[in-house]
Amino acid sequence: MTDRHEATERDESNTLLSGVDRRGFLKGIGVAGLLGASGTGLADDFLRMDGLEVVDDPIGNYPYRDWEDLYREEWDWDSTARSTHSVNCTGSCSWEVFVRNGQVWRESQAGDYPRFDESVPDPNPRGCQKGACYSDYVNADQRIKYPLRRTGARGEGKWQRISWDEALTEIAEKLVEEVTAGRYDAISGFTPIPAMSPVSFASGSRLVNLLGGVSHSFYDWYSDLPPGQPITWGHQTDNAESADWYNADYIVAWGSNINVTRIPDAKYFLEAGYNGTKRVGVFTDYSQTAIHCDEWIGPTPGTDTVLALGMARTIVDEELYDEAHLKEQTDMPLLVREDTGKFLRSADIRDGGDENVFVMQDADGTLRTAPGSLGNRAGKYDSEASIELEFDPQLAVDRTVSTGDGDVRVRTVWLRLRDELATYTPEYVNEESGVGQETHQRVAREFAQAERAKIIHGKGVNDWYHNDLANRAIQLLVTLTGNLGRQGTGLDHYVGQEKMWASHGFSELSYPTGNVRGVATTLWTYYHAGILDNTDEDTARRIRESVDNGWMPLYPAERPNGSRPDPSVMLVWRGNYFNQAKGNVAVEETLWPKLDLVVDINFRMDSTALYSDIVLPTASHYEKYDLSMTDMHSYVHPFTPAVEPLGESKTDWEIFRLLAEKIQEIATERGLAPVQDRKFDREIDLQSVYDDYVRDWLTGEEGALEADRAACEFILDHSEETNPQDVDDRITFDQIEEQPRRFLATGDHWTSPIEEGEAYTPWKQFVQDKEPWPTFTGRQQYYIDHDWFLDLGEELPTHKQPTNEQDPDEYPLRYNTPHGRWSIHSTWRDNETLLRLQRGEPVVYLNPDDAAARDVEDGDTVRLYNDLGSVELQVKIYPSGEPGTARMFFAWEKFQFASRNNFNTLVPMYMKPTQLVQYPEESGEHLSFSPNYWGPTGVNSDVRVEVEKIDGGDGE
Amino acid sequence: MSQSDHHVHLADGVDHQVAMVMDLNKCVGCQTCTVACKTNWTQGGGREYMYWNNVETKPGEGYPRNWEESGGGYESREQAHDSAHGNRREGTIPPQKDYGRAWEFNHEQVMYNGSDEPLRPVDNDPEWGPNWDEDKGAGEFPNSYYFYLPRICNHCTHPSCVEACPRKAIYKRQEDGIVLVDQDRCRGYRYCVEGCPYKKVYYNAVKKTSEKCIFCYPRIEGEGPDGEVRPPSCAADCPPQLRVVGFLDDEEGPIHKLVNEWQVALRLHPEYRTEPNVYYIPPFAPPQHSDDGETLDIDRIPRTYLENLFGDDVHDALDTIERERDKVRRGGSSELMDLLTTTNPAQQYRLEVFEDE
Repeated sequence: MTDRHEATERDESNTLLSGVDRRGFLKGIGVAGLLGASGTGLADDFLRMDGLEVVDDPIGNYPYRDWEDLYREEWDWDSTARSTHSVNCTGSCSWEVFVRNGQVWRESQAGDYPRFDESVPDPNPRGCQKGACYSDYVNADQRIKYPLRRTGARGEGKWQRISWDEALTEIAEKLVEEVTAGRYDAISGFTPIPAMSPVSFASGSRLVNLLGGVSHSFYDWYSDLPPGQPITWGHQTDNAESADWYNADYIVAWGSNINVTRIPDAKYFLEAGYNGTKRVGVFTDYSQTAIHCDEWIGPTPGTDTVLALGMARTIVDEELYDEAHLKEQTDMPLLVREDTGKFLRSADIRDGGDENVFVMQDADGTLRTAPGSLGNRAGKYDSEASIELEFDPQLAVDRTVSTGDGDVRVRTVWLRLRDELATYTPEYVNEESGVGQETHQRVAREFAQAERAKIIHGKGVNDWYHNDLANRAIQLLVTLTGNLGRQGTGLDHYVGQEKMWASHGFSELSYPTGNVRGVATTLWTYYHAGILDNTDEDTARRIRESVDNGWMPLYPAERPNGSRPDPSVMLVWRGNYFNQAKGNVAVEETLWPKLDLVVDINFRMDSTALYSDIVLPTASHYEKYDLSMTDMHSYVHPFTPAVEPLGESKTDWEIFRLLAEKIQEIATERGLAPVQDRKFDREIDLQSVYDDYVRDWLTGEEGALEADRAACEFILDHSEETNPQDVDDRITFDQIEEQPRRFLATGDHWTSPIEEGEAYTPWKQFVQDKEPWPTFTGRQQYYIDHDWFLDLGEELPTHKQPTNEQDPDEYPLRYNTPHGRWSIHSTWRDNETLLRLQRGEPVVYLNPDDAAARDVEDGDTVRLYNDLGSVELQVKIYPSGEPGTARMFFAWEKFQFASRNNFNTLVPMYMKPTQLVQYPEESGEHLSFSPNYWGPTGVNSDVRVEVEKIDGGDGE
Repeated sequence: MSQSDHHVHLADGVDHQVAMVMDLNKCVGCQTCTVACKTNWTQGGGREYMYWNNVETKPGEGYPRNWEESGGGYESREQAHDSAHGNRREGTIPPQKDYGRAWEFNHEQVMYNGSDEPLRPVDNDPEWGPNWDEDKGAGEFPNSYYFYLPRICNHCTHPSCVEACPRKAIYKRQEDGIVLVDQDRCRGYRYCVEGCPYKKVYYNAVKKTSEKCIFCYPRIEGEGPDGEVRPPSCAADCPPQLRVVGFLDDEEGPIHKLVNEWQVALRLHPEYRTEPNVYYIPPFAPPQHSDDGETLDIDRIPRTYLENLFGDDVHDALDTIERERDKVRRGGSSELMDLLTTTNPAQQYRLEVFEDE
């Protein structure tokens, strides 16, 4: 036995040693460890063994325990600080950062969110494996330590180190040139998701705003915005915080892979299973969330709408709907003209009637105006108006009314909906979606009969071209059953941390002039990347029409002579625009060359940084002050610096402040005159840009906002959520550095109050207080009588096949790029600790049958391609994946692929015309462009690909 | 439930025994535990490749690869002719390739030195790693199945690593039953690596000693600068809080209730007969589908597979959980369901109950 051991030992020692480098060796073990590893050889060891001290029985009786201090000494630190991560994961998790010997050592969830409801699971700890190794980035190889100017081609990775003064001067010169030439609207600032770090968001947004530049949307661009919500509910989105999941009796997780993408919140879903809640998962694959559901339903990809409308049909046919809710809260009793498809207006039936007042029929057969219509309330939101009914509107009305155009047949939305739903028979639903006839009807019944039923809705639904139709169909289920505006109910859509709690202060900080040149990033990107020449004629025509009508702004704006300049400068911070851009080939080939100067501000060299001209090093998340909030919970907590910014890096706030200072310096030297803004009544004065940047515009105090911490306090001071007008309490930065605090109130972009001891649940002001919904009709509106919706046959939710996919014969596999477990978008994709827990390189999940049909095995390298491009990557066999899908958990960086293509290379530019409208067409109270609120989504699921093995490929 | 079921068996000479119950129905495979453990204990010095805590997808080959086939532990009850403890079974030492290596990457070259290579593990062609077969599982769509299994050292009552060590450099602490490899005394023979049927002792080729999970004893001792008693990192940092940590012999604590009273927390591979002190709530899963997309009343995870992992008691455990879930669904209350939720976080970690002794 000894011989065998000796032999193995030698071989193994050699192999093991070769994998360890000196740096890691020194990093890992303390002095005691080093002394212990005395380098004695085997022979030496065996000699010592002869003189071994006697230990009788080491169970419970071991005399030599002093060595245990070895590990005790490793559990040691010098200081801690509270921080979090700014990565748009919706987590907003408070962390304790441990510092040892002046360096960040590790982090652990702070775990001190105060509980507000003892009957639901403890909110602590919030965090996940990504947050648990963010400290890697603080000192990582990929960390950007000083300003860099590109010396090779964009993307080549060849750099020259430059001084801060050189970098700021070069950028400032270009910005001054553009503003003075009147091309301030060719300057773009892209930074996503303020809630994850509003001060850092505001840093650049504030400067761009002062310069008259363009602020980009992100929530719609990343297809996180569910367009069905503004369409139906007239509001961006409003969701229950995750604690409310536990209050539901029935939850359908619909395309929301909670266990992967909502790790800090998953506990509420998992533990609800022990609290009597039934959890149904709707996923095309047997997903990481499906495994912990009570029932899993696996529709064919792209058939969510069919399934939802099939379930709606069951609920309607079996009269399981909430009739009172439908009559009071929805457009179902409204009359629609059969001749035009338009709502019957009061102006249609009587002189002096209103174009914006709608009509219902009461129990006596009398026509009545619908309370809360846009025409009888003061604007989009009107808390003084009411939709409370004084009569009993009828749902099923089919009659003739006398109008200025003569007698016209009218029918209710309800009857039209029933016609639509009649299509979705159990047989049809089964045929289209693959979901069993009995199963989907039973789930519909269970959902309708539950006291509190909820749908958690996610990216799996929202990434499709017809996402608005799917949203509306799924929303219909909670509306039909009256599951809105109460604890444990609703449709909670979580994709992106778009919603700011401390909104007013944030907005004043980011856009001090109040005049924002906002743009829908999908439109801006695709327009400048050439979509008009790369889409069907009808879409191209409608894009032009939307821009010409002023429904969707586009920058640079058209000049009086009819020309439109190209964008020239792009500043990117807190995001990875270039890597994450759908239509990636067109963005790289057509849009990127139009930009004279791309500046990326980053702590790590991501793909956007790599393809920039100048890269500025910013502080990591553990080196700055900021705030953090999310709609997954109702607390605010801060970033505070655990250590000083590494190398020459500076906080975002300082970087943009210094840039403002440089611009002011140049403008003052040159005596540059203010420039009159073409759109807004203001002058862009470069000689005062710095003074304006650091001035508190609300108090007028000069120089008040030099520091990032002061900017944090500005937000807290000026927001209803943290400093409410009618409450004798306020939240200060000092307090939340000590412990996270729950918001004190809700501002006017929320639809329910914060209530003591209860999880936040939206829509109470409409459902319980009966204020009109902020739609054209003042009701949850499933019927949209906009001309474009009527043209396209989408006035009601309906299932449509996408018309513009690749040829399924040539590209038989669906391409799916969901959010994954191992990164938050592209952050952590390049992280060593986490790559070691994967395969170290990008992988595509294939069903075993699809792999076998292509002679591909696990670990092989394949080419994944369609008519747009191709990428090479490793195959991983995934028996739980539906056959016919190539699934690549997304956001691998371009530099992780040999070709420098990436997951978005295979995704075309799609823009759906119904998302370019204004409604009502003239005034837009219901739908009109607002960044991240209403605008076209950049979708990516209607894509097909084929996979082929690369000869000789064995996983590289 | 007979009184004898309540008997708590500790190793002779051990006053109290730390224990952990992991609820597999709450494990989402996020590996926060793995990362928390790694940042605490195994970032360098020859420990890079080690995962004292790992999470593997089951069914699957796991980490190290095929550890379940690697022998060690003790002979079966039959082989031992029903005597309390039989002889040790022969085991094998997994080769390095079955653990995988701690890959280094070429960030510097790709990002700053103009290399046109992709970002990849350097000088390495990875073929296995600690989570290589993540999400794979078994079966055929739509009736495939998988779940996640977090694993640490089981700090066994009858540890075969201790018996295997000819230097007697591994011991079980009297006060809490934590099993430790004496880093001064160990000479790295790896009889323990061979002898542990769970392959939870790792050889450190730099230090030339074997190392393993220490149940974060410095944390449970309150050793840090703030003197705070903390549960092991893997438990403390777990987002769904699927681990209950305490003492097996704390009869008021949830572990005793789950293991001995409700009997829903089971040992992994009890047939190895090392008597682990980490217990698992076995997983349930949504039922199977028919070809025409109907939900069937058929278990998705084959009971035979779960039996293979957790022994025959898995049937009763799953039935008990299902019965109690049903009770709550119908509006009743259940101590068991309360024990499995975190509405009372104070019971999750009971590490100071014997402090007065």
